[in-house]
Amino acid sequence: MTYRDAPLQPTSKINSADLAVLLRRVAGRDRDAFSTLYGATSAKLYGIVLRILRRRDLSDEVLQEIYVKIWDRAGDFDASRGSPVTWMATIARNQALDEARRVQSVSIEDLPAGFDIVCDAPVALDAILASEEGRRLHNCLQRLEPRRRDLVVQAYMEGASREELGRRFGAPVPTIKTWLHRSLAQLKECLES
Amino acid sequence: MSDPSDIDELAAEYVLGTLDAGERAMVAARRQREPVLDAAIIAWQRRLAPLDDFAPAVEPPSGIFGAIEQKIVARGSRASGMLAGGAGSTIITLQRRLRRWRISAIAAGAAAASLVVAFAARELLRPETAQNYVAVFQKDDASPAFVMTVDLTARTLSIRRVAAPVPARKTYQLWIASDKLGPGPHSLGLIEDQNAGLQKAIAKLDPTIVQSALFGVSLEPAGGSPTGKPTGPVFHTRLIPTSE
Repeated sequence: MTYRDAPLQPTSKINSADLAVLLRRVAGRDRDAFSTLYGATSAKLYGIVLRILRRRDLSDEVLQEIYVKIWDRAGDFDASRGSPVTWMATIARNQALDEARRVQSVSIEDLPAGFDIVCDAPVALDAILASEEGRRLHNCLQRLEPRRRDLVVQAYMEGASREELGRRFGAPVPTIKTWLHRSLAQLKECLES
Repeated sequence: MSDPSDIDELAAEYVLGTLDAGERAMVAARRQREPVLDAAIIAWQRRLAPLDDFAPAVEPPSGIFGAIEQKIVARGSRASGMLAGGAGSTIITLQRRLRRWRISAIAAGAAAASLVVAFAARELLRPETAQNYVAVFQKDDASPAFVMTVDLTARTLSIRRVAAPVPARKTYQLWIASDKLGPGPHSLGLIEDQNAGLQKAIAKLDPTIVQSALFGVSLEPAGGSPTGKPTGPVFHTRLIPTSE
């Protein structure tokens, strides 16, 4: 996958204010609200998790852990620290990344035949361009050298470890680390300018 | 690591996801007591969050929400007002029903409810043990329902149909799935006998795997799944300790 792939992707925008209300109700142990919240957000979070873990069996398991955490921590949601979707996506990413690091000794190539691997789906560029923050990030990513841009995007979206990125980009791990740090610093400077 | 640029690099890589397991655990612990690191992580989450829109949404399998609700119930969240009903109250309703069955079975000594009696008797004899588990399979009131009990001391498992019509030339099949058992679900047998259900010794299965495994019941052609994997709709569930 590269950042340049840009097919059309229908975006289902979930209203942030509605989600914040649902989270408050979930914090009050409202099972109906939890069910609605799951219906509104599970496809997005499952997409994020699948992209990182690739294996459906692991992703199904991790998605359950994620929603148990959302149920437990709904009261911790703080709108001043980010949107409800970002808050939930962060829980999803952290859970998926922890699992990916735990099982990373099993590479995709080593999996037994018949294992359900999710194939690489193209990325959805128009979805990112739908928001102001998305357009700014996109513009700043465009200013990175193409390979560095792919490095950052693959790391984030696919949860690739430094070792994995080293294999993909043909560079030793310390070099990957330096590239990442420089690219991220450049990105931050651009976003804050 | 106290240099501000080091902290920012660490936060950026934590959010990007490129740290290894040990580093991730370290950052997760440090942010609890280092507000500067915590703030840097939140700032990076905001910067990179639009990339979340990149991953195409994928509808998860239908059984997942039921499994989530069971996990929540199993951890004793009932105490915090979850008996209030709602869309996901099926499991609680079934637990209540199960409790009523136990009580009525003890009172009446009903032979027809032999499994429930045996289950309740075990519970009475060993009230403190966490070796007995129960699992309820049901999607909604209109769906087939099964009650499974597992005794990890005796290493036995019983599953019984409580409200499941069997379509002609079909049978229900029980499955277990766990990372530690290898890929995909594994058959535990067919639930064929209407009265006795399925009884099975599970001595070969590691109890810790059984405790955390996902169980499923699927509707299959008579004789069981021809492929060795579930072919019909599957109801998933997990074990709940009966000591709760």
